[in-house]
Amino acid sequence: MIKTQFVACDHCDLLLDAPSLQEEQCALCPRCGHKISRLRKNLMSQLTAYGVTALILLALSNMFSLMTFNLSGNISEINLWQSALNLYFEQYKTLSLIVFIFIVIVPALVIALILFFIALIRLNHRPKALSNILRLIFGLLPWAMAEVFFVGVLVSLVKLVTIAQMNLGWSFWAYALFCVCYAKVLSLLDRYQLWSWLERGYAHDSL
Amino acid sequence: MTHYSEGSAAINGLVNCTECGLVAKKELTVCPRCNARLSPRRIYSLQVTLALLITAFVLYIPANLLPMMVTEKLGQVEYNTILGGIIVLWEEGSEPIAVVVFVASVLVPVLKFIILFYLCFCAIAQGAVSAKTRVNLYRLTEFIGRWSMVDIFVVAVLVALIQLDHLLNVQPGNGTIAFAAVVILTMFAANSFDPRILWDKPLKRDEITSARK
Ligand SMILES: [Zn+2]
Ligand SMILES: [Zn+2]
Repeated sequence: MIKTQFVACDHCDLLLDAPSLQEEQCALCPRCGHKISRLRKNLMSQLTAYGVTALILLALSNMFSLMTFNLSGNISEINLWQSALNLYFEQYKTLSLIVFIFIVIVPALVIALILFFIALIRLNHRPKALSNILRLIFGLLPWAMAEVFFVGVLVSLVKLVTIAQMNLGWSFWAYALFCVCYAKVLSLLDRYQLWSWLERGYAHDSL
Repeated sequence: MTHYSEGSAAINGLVNCTECGLVAKKELTVCPRCNARLSPRRIYSLQVTLALLITAFVLYIPANLLPMMVTEKLGQVEYNTILGGIIVLWEEGSEPIAVVVFVASVLVPVLKFIILFYLCFCAIAQGAVSAKTRVNLYRLTEFIGRWSMVDIFVVAVLVALIQLDHLLNVQPGNGTIAFAAVVILTMFAANSFDPRILWDKPLKRDEITSARK
């Protein structure tokens, strides 16, 4: 078995004795202040709850209209798929692909993989590929841009209210809530805790 | 060749796995927990970062010169570059939005270029600011990088929404692809930079020659 008696800071490589944290305590690097780990209470159930909620909200936000644009009787409406797919049929394939991957596919994949990982750990089933899934989750994180897209939607909304009548659809609110849940999932994720589940089972949550 | 920093895992003959955070013996080449390749510092971190950064910098020129958005209003076609769009927004009286777009599409990419070039420079020669400040600068680039995509998303929403034939329609310009590439490349550049080298000391010239002997 691998002993994790040491940890090293990712941002300055300072070697430290593995801290023994109390619940909700946070270990900071004494040299550079980098957050090394935070031991969350009931992390697994919290991640599951917020993850499932986020996935449902994302599915909902793909079903209704995002917003409606009404310029003296000329009405057009978009949903999340269309902001990317309309572009696809208009032959801006690269742009539409980039947008769709960043705002829907990657966030959905991150959460689905986290839930899948937790499900396997709960079933006490640890195939070898599980470590690759965990690496993939952390590798995908910078590429999920849900909240950036939401700001983009707000900016275009403010741009358009001056020239036309704008109405917000259900998807707008669903996506807003999805962004909140997704941010919560991100703030909960703790690399040391997730890897320790893989190693020793979730009965021993400590570092 | 560098001196690893005081108290680091590397100077103690250990390697911190960048993927899973396991501290392993430096003799191991592959992490026993996650199978990632192990090395005390990311291999060719500086070279990869600089290559990506220079590519992004070159693409930043067409991203600013080519139009981001092509608007057709009652048969009149209007081409808007990034800066042009911001100026139009400002003149139309939506100053707050102009500021948001300016920060996301001009300030953030420029800041990222300056900081990352400076950090690469610091890793070779000694910089004036402390390692703590440098690592904070690195965290800033990591955090702000994604926000430059705002403008791309705005264009995508406008194009999808506004298609009223010749009355009013919006098409994406070629600048969008260049700009998206700039954002993606600078994100890759920030990801491939290894902040741990900021704490190491570069070898002095006579030490390099004596190491070679
Ligand atoms: Zn540190
Ligand atoms: Zn590893």
